[in-house]
Amino acid sequence: MNEMELLRELAQETPLPAPAELDAARARLVAAIAADPAAGGFTAVSEVPMYQPYPSSGQPVEPLRPPAPAPVLDAVKLMYGGAVGTVVQLIIALAYIGDIRAYHLTVLGHHLTTAQLSHQRPLIITLAIAFGLALIALWLWMARANGQGRNWARILSTVLFGLATLQLSGLHGVAQVFWAMLTWLTGLAAVWQLWRPASSAFFRQCRQAARTRQP
Amino acid sequence: MRRRRGSAAADDAAVIESSWRNPERFAVLFDRHAPHIYRYLARRAGRQVADDLVAETFLAAFAKRDRYDLGHADARPWLYGIATNLVGQHRRDEARQYRITQAAAAEPEVPGHAERVAADVTAQAMRPLLAAALAALPVGDRDVLLLIAWEQLTYQEVSRALAIPVGTVRSRLHRARTKVRQALAGTDAAATYEELTTNE
Repeated sequence: MNEMELLRELAQETPLPAPAELDAARARLVAAIAADPAAGGFTAVSEVPMYQPYPSSGQPVEPLRPPAPAPVLDAVKLMYGGAVGTVVQLIIALAYIGDIRAYHLTVLGHHLTTAQLSHQRPLIITLAIAFGLALIALWLWMARANGQGRNWARILSTVLFGLATLQLSGLHGVAQVFWAMLTWLTGLAAVWQLWRPASSAFFRQCRQAARTRQP
Repeated sequence: MRRRRGSAAADDAAVIESSWRNPERFAVLFDRHAPHIYRYLARRAGRQVADDLVAETFLAAFAKRDRYDLGHADARPWLYGIATNLVGQHRRDEARQYRITQAAAAEPEVPGHAERVAADVTAQAMRPLLAAALAALPVGDRDVLLLIAWEQLTYQEVSRALAIPVGTVRSRLHRARTKVRQALAGTDAAATYEELTTNE
């Protein structure tokens, strides 16, 4: 007999507990389950009467959906982080525009002359700001829509991330590349979180809930 | 090779997945595994502490169920991992439990063949040594040894439970077994026990 068998012999002295011994622990778990926002929440969806968009109070019925699981919440946080990263990127891009030289810029296949660049600079700055703001708005919009369990937002986020990946090749400057990579990695992490099994289950439930609500 | 607690464990992942939508389903996991987790905790930290820790184990598991990797059908390693972490926060209770084991060297009451009884008596005599050896082991080594010896988890399951590579499981187990063997070797009780069990 070796030490492993001796250990097993020692373990024999502790029998399995009687069911009653686990009652207190089970009660604590059941209480935690009952306190979980999802408990009964989803089943309540099917109990919402159809054709009742405006109850007697006159207010529209609050759409019922299960609470977002941790991966979706993480993805939403990452998207807000991505929006912040884009703000920084925009600031860097604006600083970079000041240093831009004519040979850097090609419009519709034609190199701009220095005079043309000087003339176009306000337009370029305006376009950069508009593009940057649009990107920030996209991050925030995607964060909100994904947090609400919109499956189209998850798909659109993934497509946008793919487009952002293509855009990585046209970057100049260490600071710009660094922040762009950081923002890209944030996007990658967010997309990964959105496609995790718990997230998929959440989006599926939201879709079912939405179908249930439709007259 | 290793003991399985019924085929029910095979669909733990399905239960956890369904608990994402219906949290009430998580109670199935409790009913399925709580007795064994409780016993493991009682062995390590004593029954009184186990009462609390088994509840905390399942509360922690419930709170992070949405992070469970559904690729693993059997949730036991995951639960043992949580339980082991909780034991880590109760080192004082665990040390006390080993002291109790050391102190309790009662005579075996089972009658039987004379040599078997003698072996039992000697095994009882070795128990304090075993408890002392366990108490002296580094925490990581002890976790691996006890999950394998007591709970009969496989190397892969221990690797999952403790989030360490299988190679580390092997080396920790080897180190722990060597230390325990050394602690038991050379004692009169060990020699007598070896002799009696070999003659049987």
